Amino acid sequence: MSRLLEVSGLRVEHRGRPIVDGVDFTLERGEALGLAGESGCGKTTTALALMKILPAGLKQAGGIILRPPGVEEQINIDRRTEAGMQVVRWRHISLVFQGAMNSLDPVQHIDTQIAEVIRLHEPGVGSKEVSARIGELLTTVGLTPALGRRYAHQLSGGQRQRVMIALALACRPSLVIADEPTTALDVVMQAQVLQLLERLREQLGLALILISHDLGVLAETCERIAVMYAGKIVETGPVGTVFAAPQHPYTKRLLDSLPVIGGTRGLATPIPGGPPDPGNPPDGCAFHPRCPYSTDRCLGDPALREVAPKQSAACHFAPWAEWPTVVPAASAVEVDG
Amino acid sequence: MSERGALKLLVNTWRGRFGLAVLAISTFVAIFGTLIAPYNPEASSLDVLQAPSFSHLLGTTENGADVFSQLLVGTRVSMLVGFAAALISAVLGSLVGIASGYFGGWTDRILDSMENWFLVIPTLPLMIVLARLLNPSLTVLIVVIGLTSWAGTGRIVRSQVLTLRERAFVERARALGASDTYIIRTHILPNTLPLIFANTVLIIAVAILSEAALSFLGLGDPTRISWGTMLENAFQSGAPSAGAWWYVIPPGLAITILVLGVSLLGFVFEEYINPRLREQS
Amino acid sequence: MSGRWLAGKVAAAVLTLVFVIIFNFFLFRVMGDPTTQLARLPRATPQEIVKLRAQYGLDKPLIGQFIDNVGDTARLDLGVSQRSREQVWDEIKAALPWTLLLVGTGTLIATLLGSWMGVVAATRRGQRTDNGFLGFSLFTYASPEYWIGIILILVFAVWLPIFPSGLQETPGVVFSGFPAQALDVAKHLVLPATAMTLMLLGQYFLIMRSSMVDVLTEDFIAVKRATGLPWGRVVRRHAVPNALLPLVTLSAIQFGAVVGGAITIETIFSWPGLGELTFQAINDKDYPVLQGTFLIFSFGVILANLAADCLYFALDPRVQSK
Repeated sequence: MSRLLEVSGLRVEHRGRPIVDGVDFTLERGEALGLAGESGCGKTTTALALMKILPAGLKQAGGIILRPPGVEEQINIDRRTEAGMQVVRWRHISLVFQGAMNSLDPVQHIDTQIAEVIRLHEPGVGSKEVSARIGELLTTVGLTPALGRRYAHQLSGGQRQRVMIALALACRPSLVIADEPTTALDVVMQAQVLQLLERLREQLGLALILISHDLGVLAETCERIAVMYAGKIVETGPVGTVFAAPQHPYTKRLLDSLPVIGGTRGLATPIPGGPPDPGNPPDGCAFHPRCPYSTDRCLGDPALREVAPKQSAACHFAPWAEWPTVVPAASAVEVDG
Repeated sequence: MSERGALKLLVNTWRGRFGLAVLAISTFVAIFGTLIAPYNPEASSLDVLQAPSFSHLLGTTENGADVFSQLLVGTRVSMLVGFAAALISAVLGSLVGIASGYFGGWTDRILDSMENWFLVIPTLPLMIVLARLLNPSLTVLIVVIGLTSWAGTGRIVRSQVLTLRERAFVERARALGASDTYIIRTHILPNTLPLIFANTVLIIAVAILSEAALSFLGLGDPTRISWGTMLENAFQSGAPSAGAWWYVIPPGLAITILVLGVSLLGFVFEEYINPRLREQS
Repeated sequence: MSGRWLAGKVAAAVLTLVFVIIFNFFLFRVMGDPTTQLARLPRATPQEIVKLRAQYGLDKPLIGQFIDNVGDTARLDLGVSQRSREQVWDEIKAALPWTLLLVGTGTLIATLLGSWMGVVAATRRGQRTDNGFLGFSLFTYASPEYWIGIILILVFAVWLPIFPSGLQETPGVVFSGFPAQALDVAKHLVLPATAMTLMLLGQYFLIMRSSMVDVLTEDFIAVKRATGLPWGRVVRRHAVPNALLPLVTLSAIQFGAVVGGAITIETIFSWPGLGELTFQAINDKDYPVLQGTFLIFSFGVILANLAADCLYFALDPRVQSK
């Protein structure tokens, strides 16, 4: 495999306060990476920063290098201007937005909107080929090509989400970012969309960054996982290893909070307390106020370091040989209802 | 609605301050205008269409009357018609809106189509027809403007009452056997009043403009000077082509400033009631 | 289905018009009984009045009179002008094109300019251009349109004599052909049309601005930007078409104001349209003409509302499938 994306020291600030604070990760071609964490931890902001489409008022810094297959030179996204980014967006990286219900222009036909991006990035393509491509795309995502003549309001939620995936694939990018692609859907539809993403990745060889607060979703689809907390990656590693032996208390708690169907644990245990105020995290390890194992050491900044083969964690106490069973009562400062 | 919040908004925004200042000055001039006017506004003289000078700050009219004095005295009619007509419109609009929203059914259907009708029909022609058929006087102006401008208020009040009617406290009162008048007086009206108030302030501005337009078209009270009749006289006497800017500009500017001030106050109240509007500006 | 939606709108428009006719009839009969008018004729003997009453059908019961009136209206028989002794419909027919020319020009320019200003301001929210446009539109909202017309005359006809101060064409001139006449009319149209535009501009601008502000926060705008579409094209192709929808509906509210403006602005510029006709009728207490212009103004506004509904129907696919 060869490297597709290299993110180093990515920072996003809002009025001088960091929303994303020094994120590093890499992605191989065709690889699926899961980005996990509670809402407000900076997952979506990271995704938007990768395409340089942050809302006004947010400033980004840090290296983002993309090496799409078939392109001679690497693309330094961080150094590109707005005009320079316009040819990278959708051509090389596309994004399936969160909440796809309103992600389509309500007064344009579906196929018109897909045709617009194809023509934008591949101006030489004839109209016959464009419509053939649209039909192909809609078929790929499991829709009938006739649906292209419809408007967004004439589609169901699941159909709209599929259209958004078709739109994301329109210019055959090497990387697709999917931001909570299943949150607005019912369980059956969720499973279908996830299977679709997995199939497409295998067939088209595209790399995928799947963003979700739901570790269960990531476990099914991804090879590697990165857990974010308060704008930082706190643990990363192969899905199997991380799930089997988490090395950060936050990951551990996230896994514990997963409901296990038919499991012995019964009810899911929620994490006490809420995520810290974005842009104003606690000193040291940002998780320590909610961490049942925290000590004075946790007031120092923990570095993300390799604690097991291919697995890194940002915890002073990692690697954890085993998790203490007794939860110190004193640390559960606040429990929200 | 906390009065303090509204007051804060009035005093802390430039729009609120401007509106309050304009309203205060206009009210003062409307009351004491006849006393501070340097000349009898209707006294004609031989100094016809004189440009502004120290003796005539804003020059003279085609009859040699003092423009500045007319401007001061005319404030009263504009303010009086504006406020009185808006009051009629507020009462009518609230009555119709509450009745149609609260009782629903056929009452609503009939009143609502009446509202629709008044909203669609062009207002100025309607006012012209009514004012022409009755003989022009201050009362006629007030009644005609009031009768033709209530529909918007009615529409807004109706939709507010429709949502209030479904609220728990109203349902509870009804279940306890409270009479309709009691419910309207204690639950519906107090919760609709801020909306009616904000809307009425905006209607004042519209009524002032309507009075001016009707007076300009010769349907004003012939016995009184208003800014509209000043513009009418200026126009009829050929002041624009004579280049008599001092006669033409002040009345229109006075209307503009008063309408602007009152409207800005209305917008401030409207924003206070509906904070979504604040994000837009 | 879609057909029913349109049919409903048409039915509502027809009903509104019927009520205009009823209102018009009873208002003028009750408050402006033509017999009192006739009685004012200086040398009319009682016999003549009875004859006249019979001639006008005033001796019939009120309902009979009303049915006659509806029939007459349908045949465009709106009575005779008391001033000119001409058929009211003929006077209206002569004036209507001039009003349409003025109103059409003013509305067209105001819509285009106002929408453009709205788009510019919404994409530069809080900046100097935005604030400038906002201030300007507030001013034009608050000032009487005929006063603005007078100022235009003062500046562009008196101080700088560029444009004529009134009338629709230079009186007494025999034109060499249609182009020459059209040019002359166009010159006369400039000031009244400018007054009309200024009257409407602020409202159109405010509507478009707030509509654009709303649309620009929608998800699909962010998606379009993410696809690599240049910002200008996102605005033109996706934001503006969506923002125009509320403009179409809300501009229908403006039609009443357009008619009001036509009356006062035509008066100022002696523009021989329906507004000027109305103004004459006010001064002469010419009730048949007043009745006729009220009818035609109401009819025009109802029709314009219906047209706006149809346009909205054509533009918004979401209505069509309802």
